[in-house]
Formats: sequence, structure tokens, C-alpha cells
Amino acid sequence: MPISLTRRAALRLSAAGALALGAAPAFAQTAAIPATVTEPVEITFYNYNLSSAGNGAEATKKMIAEFEAAHPNIKVTGVPVAPQSLMTRIQADLVAGQPVDLSQMGFMGIDFAVQNLGAVALEDIIPAEELDAHFDGMVPNGLELGRLDGKTWGLAYTFSTPVLFYNADLFRAAGLDPDQPPATWAEVKSAGLKIREKTDALPLATGIFGPSAVDWLMQGILRSNGGMTIDESRTKMIFAEPASVEAVEMLRDLADEGIMENLDVTSQLEGMAAGATAMYLQTSAIQGHLIRGAEGNYELRAAPMPAFGDKPVRPNNSGSSLMIHAQDPVKQRAAWELMKFLTSKRGYTIVTSEIGYLPLRPEILDDPEFLGEWVKDHPLIEPNMAQLSKLEPWVPMPGPNYLQIITTTMDAMEQATFGSDDDVAGILADAQARAQRLIP
Amino acid sequence: MTTDALAAAPAGLVRPRRAPRARAAAGWETGVGHALMVLLSLVCVFPVYWMIVTSLRPENAIFSNALWPDAASLENYAYALSAIPMGAMLVNTFVVATAVTAIQLLTGILAGYAFSRWRFPGAGALMAAVALTWLVPLQVVMIPNYLLVANLGLIDTLGALILPHVASAFAILLLAQAMRSFPREVIEAARMDGASHAHVLWQVVLPNLRGTLASLAILIFISTWNEYFWPLLLSRRPENSVVQIGLQMFVTAEGTAWGPLMAASTLASLPILAIYLVLQRQVISSFMKSGLR
Amino acid sequence: MTDAALPTAGPSGPRRAAPRRRGLSPSRRLYRAARPYLYLAPALVCFAVWIYEPLAQAFWLSFQQWNLLPTSPRTWVGWDNYRNILDLPQFWQALDNTWLYLLGLLPLAVALPLAVAIFTQDLPPRARNLYRALIFVPLIVPPVVAAAVWRWLLDPRYGVVNGWLEGLGLEPVRFLADPDWALWTITFITGWKLMGFATLILSAANASIDPSLIEAARLDGASRWRIVRDVRLPLLSPTILLLVMMVILLGAQWSFAYIHVLTEGGPLGATTNIYYLLWEFGFATLSVGWSSASAVILFLGFGVLAALIFRLKEKVSFHDD
Repeated sequence: MPISLTRRAALRLSAAGALALGAAPAFAQTAAIPATVTEPVEITFYNYNLSSAGNGAEATKKMIAEFEAAHPNIKVTGVPVAPQSLMTRIQADLVAGQPVDLSQMGFMGIDFAVQNLGAVALEDIIPAEELDAHFDGMVPNGLELGRLDGKTWGLAYTFSTPVLFYNADLFRAAGLDPDQPPATWAEVKSAGLKIREKTDALPLATGIFGPSAVDWLMQGILRSNGGMTIDESRTKMIFAEPASVEAVEMLRDLADEGIMENLDVTSQLEGMAAGATAMYLQTSAIQGHLIRGAEGNYELRAAPMPAFGDKPVRPNNSGSSLMIHAQDPVKQRAAWELMKFLTSKRGYTIVTSEIGYLPLRPEILDDPEFLGEWVKDHPLIEPNMAQLSKLEPWVPMPGPNYLQIITTTMDAMEQATFGSDDDVAGILADAQARAQRLIP
Repeated sequence: MTTDALAAAPAGLVRPRRAPRARAAAGWETGVGHALMVLLSLVCVFPVYWMIVTSLRPENAIFSNALWPDAASLENYAYALSAIPMGAMLVNTFVVATAVTAIQLLTGILAGYAFSRWRFPGAGALMAAVALTWLVPLQVVMIPNYLLVANLGLIDTLGALILPHVASAFAILLLAQAMRSFPREVIEAARMDGASHAHVLWQVVLPNLRGTLASLAILIFISTWNEYFWPLLLSRRPENSVVQIGLQMFVTAEGTAWGPLMAASTLASLPILAIYLVLQRQVISSFMKSGLR
Repeated sequence: MTDAALPTAGPSGPRRAAPRRRGLSPSRRLYRAARPYLYLAPALVCFAVWIYEPLAQAFWLSFQQWNLLPTSPRTWVGWDNYRNILDLPQFWQALDNTWLYLLGLLPLAVALPLAVAIFTQDLPPRARNLYRALIFVPLIVPPVVAAAVWRWLLDPRYGVVNGWLEGLGLEPVRFLADPDWALWTITFITGWKLMGFATLILSAANASIDPSLIEAARLDGASRWRIVRDVRLPLLSPTILLLVMMVILLGAQWSFAYIHVLTEGGPLGATTNIYYLLWEFGFATLSVGWSSASAVILFLGFGVLAALIFRLKEKVSFHDD
């Protein structure tokens, strides 16, 4: 839903109030930055697309090169870091006194970055008119993703939504119609049973469980049933409450029926790519990989995340936002200029067509100058875009033990879904108490 | 057990001939032994063979079961070489691995000699301190070491990859024990002839530990070659990194590029295999081969 | 500090006290006393700087909650970090699994390589070198790649191994997804990767056994097995015990790469071990309190074990000298 200007002003006031109450981290910055970069400056960009061989790195280098050509005063040094070690690396470099100016930060880490890594809120350093002008045209839900307690700490950059990929050939073999993919979990179950009966493929794989999955898919599933892992104020764990328990019981039912198996994340991905799995609920970011595996083997299709009956689906995103860590005003301006370029129409054109993430400026899909032509050859993006308006933020866990809270929660979820003890409510209640103790 | 036989037989010059009687009796044992060895060798080699075969397959056939790809091609190799700076990385890795091997052998020899030849206060405690370094996983020391490297100005250099590995508990303990097993009489004889400890170490003991030194060198080289977490923390530019970082670049958040990864890792495995083939010749019956002086 | 064994009657007659021992100047005596420490210095300095100093820091940090940034607050939390770790429901499961890993690795990483080293020692050079090289091959492959290849080979649906099992009329086995199999599968893969390493060490040790000892035993009429039992094994015992000690102290760390890539500790903690668990909760993030407490627990726990093994090793080892 669009955020009106007055609402934004109100958010800023409340943020100022929070600042006054000392809720802001030690790095709060209120001085404005220069309007342009007039002297040569160098900034470091900690980026995880650069750490992958292939499209991600090439596209990012291309964008950096285009940016540097347009801004001769600014030199960008890309620092490639694997996504799972990004936080460690930024923290280590800050401790070691290495300059960290701009980062591509996963949404899960926003809170930690704000509290510990010197992240700078955009509202604190950029004039309001400039911010509004840039935000105009971006999906409001997308902007919300990088906001915490009212301020924009991360500008949503690459992101993807959960998608239900499915193997049309296996559907046909099981007697299902590939043009009518399951829209609810009940339909997933009945489709899964048919697939299990008629084929020897794995009916459903998901990216829900596993340490690397953290809690991002689970948040969407719980929310779609009216539950959630943590409450709105982010002070109380609520995943043992009835709505959440019911969602996990649904998953347990799928596991008990043999529709879902407790495989590790990579096995599930590769099983789908190999054509040995019928349905796969996972981030749309892996789409390219699946397309390449499917070529010449089977027909790959995609559908939105399933719903719980009539309740609206409330998926959340995965991906990254751009965060400024620089404290020097000139570097902040340079970093902001780069951020603006990367999230401009041109930037998203490259991000979507070459790396494979969603464009947060939907208008470029209709514009032949940008992605108008490309979208005709890539229909799999449609279900993704349709979900864009339904996206909700991935809520980060609070405090220094955020990862341990998530691990405690998800370990219990996994146990409740696949374990021999079927007392889902009891297992979750026990874990909730333990996770609650880890909240500051 | 005494080594009187040593005095009797001119050392190393006469290789004992196998008694024919023992050989015949072991006939069927040897047969079974060979069968088991063949099975074991197959188990060892098959997955590596699979790695090579997969590197020759196109992306949509990665998971096929065929023992040889229908359409074998080198396109994964071409892609791997273009996607990462393989040449530079191989060179870097080779430099680091060679340096670490040489230095660890040196510190290991010195420390091993000290432990095996002399009794001194605190020897037991120091030996324990050496062994206990095995219990300290990298993640614990990673950040303080990173800070130290940054303060020394070694970020983005190969020195940072070499310096923390100047000594290794494995090298020290293995060499200490190998030297301890060295016949004391030989050393005594040399010492009585006026040899200094340095002479004893370098001219008497070490030439006869060639097997141990060679195998240790191979293993240190491999362990450094395959090291991942520490180089990962230090890597800033791929051209200055080691080959494991390059391999990891094919494992992305959007799915792993298996074909190029297998190709790159086949290429990365070849130097180690070469080092092994060169050095393993030393691991043969090397007992007292070069005589006493 | 003593320099050599007691004087013995050697081949050249009763030993004279070496003349250079008399009349040592104080500085020379000091040098003599310091010499072992000088030889040890490079290694000890390296360990002190890169391992023990950070460990001491970790010990200190384990009682605090701090992320190392100078601008961030440090809070003293006492034993909280330790309590949190011991409270983890998987802690005892991880500990149990660790024993299983170690027990499972010993045959693969010590016994089997020992048999191979001894068997191949007496073969003609070509066969010997070929076998040893083939056993060595797993070591040349990076661990991550080895794990990936084994995953493909063992997959229940498209893997080659299950294809063969089905060809023999057996049910496919879910090697990595079945809690009863998963831990042993990972142990097998870890052992597979290590075999060449132990074989190489044992071959080298075997090769440095004085052949005349073997010859003497053979001339005495000993069978091949008795030679192995009475001559080779005692002489190899220091190496064997060193390997046993390494497996016990490092086994949990060695299996880490495979657990991480193949099962992530699952299914439901069936393959986690103490090192993986502490990695998951402690080392994966920079919540320094957790990670430091984990480090201390690992160090003290295994340290006690190491001390016991060391004592055993010294008692049981046999040195030919």
C-alpha cells in the first residue's frame, strides 16, 4: 500500500522521538552531506554478487563501470564476500580499521548491522526531497523491507520471493493438470499424494529448513496462517501460539504422508534441477539454475506460494539491501550516488535480466527501453511480480543473539515437523521459552 | 631390542632377499590381499573419476548416471578458466603452499630434534602445549589473527596466508617421534667423533628420515593447498587469492555451477597429484641408505 | 639437561667421557642449557602469537557479551554463555555422536591404512606404488567437491550406488537422509578422505624399520604374521598411537566439512557433533561470547582427553633405540 507523505513525516517524527529516548545506536548521524562530490573519493562496496563466478559478478562489475564512467570523481572498490560470511567480514574489517563504506546486506542482518556495524539511516543524511524523488516509482512494499523502527536503513536492492516451482511433466504423469497448479496447502497435499502414488519422484521439496535457510520461508508460512515467530514489538516470541502451531501441524502432516522429506537444502535444490522432484517451494533467485537444469529434460513452471485455505498469502522476501556504513560525509554522498544508480531503472534492468532478481521498479517491465522486450521471453517472472504487492518484511530478530534465537526456533520447527514425537504444540512451547530467554 | 645385527651387516648395502619359503606360504593370502586392495582402490578412485566425468558433462546432464558422458566436452573447462583467474590463483596457491611446507618442515625439524634428543625442564609441558594447539579451531583465533595481520599491514598479501602457519603440531610431533626412533648408537658414534648437534641433525639424522620428511612435505602441502576459511577471510581480490576461493566462487546463492566447479577442481587437483608422484619415491625402504657419515 | 644415554659398552669399547665436557665456561653452560629452548623457539613463538594469545583472549571474552568493536558496549555476563550452550537440547546428542564418529573413524583412519601399509610394503615396486597412489587419490580433491560427488553417488533417486543396490535386488538406502545411516555415511566419507594420509605416514614409518630386524626374525623361522605382530607393530606403535591421538582429537573437526555440506547436522541432529554444534551456535556468528565459550568448552573437554591419551602413548610406545 502506498505510503503518503504525511505518513512518512509521521514516521520520521516517531523516529526522532526514538532517537531522543536513546533507542538509536551509537553511530547516529544528523549532519547533512554535500550535494555533490567535488573532489576525488574512493569508497569500498562489500558485495556478495561479486563473490560468485558468473552472471552475478559480471553484472555487478558492469554496473560499477557504468557508474564510474558517469561519476569520474568516484572510485568504487568492490570487495567480494560470500553471503554467509558477509557479517563476519564487515565486522572483522571494522575492528581492523579497514574502510567499510557500502554493503549489500541480507535482510536478516539489518538489526545487527544497525546496532553494531555503524549503519547510517538514509533519513539522517539525505534531504527529504531527494529521498522522495528517488523512492518514487519503487514498490512501496520493497522500500518497507529495509525499514526498521521507522527509518530506512537499507535500500532494497536484490530480492526475490518464495515461488512454488513445479515439474509439468511429472504432473502429467501423475494425472494432474499443469495449468492448474496447487493454490492452497490442501491442494499441495492432494497433488502430492497423487504424485507419490503414480511416480517415484519426491512430491514436495522446500527451502524451509536447514541452518542456511534460517527462518525466512517459515516466517511467510506462519504469517499466512495468521501466526508469526515474533510479535510486532519484537520483544516476545510467539511461535508456540495456536495459529503458528496449526501451520506447523500442516507441515507435519505433509511429512507424515511422505510428501515432504527431511533432506538438506542442496539435495532438495539439486533434486528439483535433476527432474526428480515434482514441486519445490524456494526463493525465485534459483530460477536460473533450475532453468538450466530443466533444459531438454523437463518442463519447468512456477506458481505463487500456496495459501492456507481462504486466508491471504503473506510471503516475505529474501535478498539484500544496500546499507551505508561510511561516517565521512563525502563518502556518504558517494555511496548514496552509487546506491541511487544501482536502484535506478537502468540498475534494475541489469539486476533483473542478468542476475535474476526482481525489479523493484515495476514500470520498467512495460517500458521497451528497459525490460519491455525481455519480459516476453521470460514468463516465469510473472508469478513473482504478482506477489510483489503482497510482500511483507522479513523481520530480523533483536539483539546480539539473533542467530541463536533463529536456530533455536527453527531446530524446534524441524523437530516438530519430522521428529518421532508428534506433540507439535509441546515442542514449540519448550523452544519458545528457550528462545525468549535469548531476547535482550 | 638391540641392533647387533646392524653391526654385523654392512648398513644398507645388502638388501635382504626374500626367503622363498615365506613367499609360497603366503600365496593365497596374497591373493585375498590383492582382491581387497583392488576393491579398496576402486572405492578410492571412483568418486574422483566421477568428478572428472561430471566436468565433461553439460549442465542439464550433471546428474546423469552414465559412466561416460554421451557428449563429452571441454566447455566447462573453458568457462571455468574464463570465469575465475585460475592461473593467478594456482600460482598464488603454489607459492603459499611451498613456503608453508618449507617453513613448517624447518620449525618441525628443530623442535622435533629438541624434544627427541634432550631432556630439559618443562619438556613434557611444552610437548603438551604443542599437541593442544590441535584443539583450537580456526574460528576462535580468526578475528584476533585478522587484527594482527591488519596491524602488520599484510592484508591482501600472501604473507598473511603464510605467517600464521609457521609451525605445525603435526610436523613437530611426527618428527619428534621419528627422531626418537633413530638408533641412538649411531648418534653416539657421531658425537664421539666430535660432531656438533647441528652436524648430527643435518648430516646424520635427517638424510635417513627422507621417507618421513617426504610424506610430511606432501601432507603439509596438501593441507595448505586445501585450506579455505582463513584465505576466505583475507581475500579481497580474486587475483590475489588462492584456488579454493576460486572454487567457492562457483557455489553461489543462486545455485551451484557444478560443471565448471568440477572442471576447476580437477585442474586444482593436478598439481597436488604431481607433487605426490614426485615425492613419494622417497617413501621407500630408506633405512640407513646413505650410510653413517 | 642431559645429552645422551648412560655410557654403554659399544662396538668401539668402553666409552670415554668426552673431553669437551670438562671445564665449561659459564656462558657455554648457559648456552647448553638454553639450547633446547632455542631450537623450540620458532615453533613456540608462532603458537604463542597465533594460537595461545587469541585463546587466552577467548577465555576472557567468554564471560562477556561484546562484538569486538571498540565503539560497542561490553557487558559482563558471567557464566551465561556457558549455561546457554549446555542448555541446548542438542548438546548431549552432539556429544554422543562425537564418540560414534571417533569410534567409526578409527578403523578407517588407522587400522585399514596400517593393513595397507604393511601389505604393500613387500610387493614388487610397481604394484606397491600403484596401490599406494590409488589410495592416495582422495586426498587431492578439495573436501567440498568430494562431499558434492559423494552426495550424487549416494542419492536415493538418481545416485549410482543405489542404482547398483537396486540392480542386486535390494531396496535403495537413504544414506544421508535416514537417521540410522547418516552418521555412518559421513564417517565413511571422512575416513575415505583420510585413508591416504594415514597410509602415507604408516608407509614411511614402516619403511624406516631396519630390514635386518625383519630378516633376523625370518631366519628364526617366524611366519609372516608373527613378524608383523612381534616386529613391525611394536616398532610402528609410536606412529600408530600418534594417529590414534589425532583421530580422537581432530576427528570431530575433520568431519566438519562433510557434515556442513551434506547434512547440516541433520536429519534432526543425527549427524551433528560437538564441533559442528559449537560452530552452528558459536562460530558462525561473531557473537563473541558464544563463540569464546564454545572454544573454551572444546579446549578443556578435549584437553583432558588429550592428557589421558598422551600419558597412555608414552607408556605403550616402543622406541627402537
